[in-house]
Amino acid sequence: MPLSVLICDDSLVARKQVAKCLPQDWDVDIHFAKHGKEAIEQIQAGKGQILLLDLNMPVMDGYQTLDAIQSGQFTTKTIVISGDIQPEAHHRVTALGAVDFIEKPVNPGELQDVLRQHHLLEMQEPTKENPALPLALQDIYQEMTNVAMGQAGEHLARIMNVFVKLPIPNVNLIEVSEIHMMLKDIESHERVSAVCQGFIGGGVTGEAVCMLSDSSFGDIAKILNIQSSVDDQLQLEVLMDAASVLIGTCLSGIGQQLDISFRQRLPMILGQHRNVSELIDSNLRKWRKTLAIELSYGIEGYDVQCDLVLLFTEESMNTMNMKLAHLLEDDL
Amino acid sequence: MSQNSEMLQMHWLMDMVQSVDVGIVVLDRECKIHVWNDFMESHSGLLANTVKNQTLFAVNNDIDKEWFIQKTKPVFDLKVRTFITWEQRPYLFKFPNYRPITGTEDFMYQNVVISALTSATGAVDYISVMIYDTTDKAIAKKQLEALQVHMTENALPVR
Repeated sequence: MPLSVLICDDSLVARKQVAKCLPQDWDVDIHFAKHGKEAIEQIQAGKGQILLLDLNMPVMDGYQTLDAIQSGQFTTKTIVISGDIQPEAHHRVTALGAVDFIEKPVNPGELQDVLRQHHLLEMQEPTKENPALPLALQDIYQEMTNVAMGQAGEHLARIMNVFVKLPIPNVNLIEVSEIHMMLKDIESHERVSAVCQGFIGGGVTGEAVCMLSDSSFGDIAKILNIQSSVDDQLQLEVLMDAASVLIGTCLSGIGQQLDISFRQRLPMILGQHRNVSELIDSNLRKWRKTLAIELSYGIEGYDVQCDLVLLFTEESMNTMNMKLAHLLEDDL
Repeated sequence: MSQNSEMLQMHWLMDMVQSVDVGIVVLDRECKIHVWNDFMESHSGLLANTVKNQTLFAVNNDIDKEWFIQKTKPVFDLKVRTFITWEQRPYLFKFPNYRPITGTEDFMYQNVVISALTSATGAVDYISVMIYDTTDKAIAKKQLEALQVHMTENALPVR
């Protein structure tokens, strides 16, 4: 995961302008936020090792943002870029922990100088830490998923005559805010469709989200041997079919190891009937943390990229931990 | 004696499959019909004895064979469930509305779940096709949409 540079400004023009001023050869991910609140949410989700921050913004201004970063003890390095050139402004942001202050409009040379001066250009990539999930458990979940994936991949490969590039599963305990962002991201991406499907069995409940880039449809139709041309209606169906197969094989692999047979609900296209933000808002209070297993499939020789995320509820983890405990004991 | 009670249990289990208000059809790999429950009999007007051992496509020639085979292949091969929702395809079997007098739709909207039936040896030789009546949902959605259109068209101008 490359370093993330977060540009926070309420003006689209300003955000673009700042992004253009970043050094061309700098290997970073660029993220944007429209105000401080969005920026803090992204920082909480592990983005924004470097923050380029405007001061005058709605919802949460630059000062409040710096304050939140300080009190949240985030390691984000903040450079303030503002039109407010009063000495007092400069003084105040430095007191709030900003590493430097650049006057608007910013130019590439100046920004680069400041970045170099504070050794931000050679800053290391962040290492992902998961203090919440004990390493041994994370290992077990990862292994469980690996085995399930192996079976699923073999099935898929045999049936569809393709080579499935097996993903390395990413197992994490994630906060609600991260899912929030993930779903919002899907919503804002017109070129990605997502299907979600609830599953339940033996005291374990959760939801699977399958995301497919729209460019994959043609190739998936080819793999599934669908002859007719892919129109909108068929596209939805292909998406649901592909999702059922991916989610189903993966779940049955996991279920076998947990000795659980999962029931799956009908798949739904995400956000087709209700706005995603609305869904999230109504669910926000129900839970805080969740176990997420992320898988990213590719199929050799085809332009198919598909991400599968399995989200388990907090309560389910107790059951799963118990069922998997024997693995841990055997290993030690 | 115990064999007898098992037989009895088998009997009422079968009775349940027959009488449940969900359509149940069991098919083999050639899509020949093996089970056709009461729900299917009542709504299609075809008796189980008539359709047994016929292929699904002979019984219902509305179904696109290639498309349906496509839907069942992963179920046989991968033991996963596949789904057909009324929003994508209103129905698999064109049945008349359950409420012919007070209902507003001409036919029954259906959700369909196709799942594998695993034999004692673990092989999948048969699949079950379950048909759920979702006409009420479809009507509710249509009404809601009509209401939304009505409200936008008749909205008071903002002063």
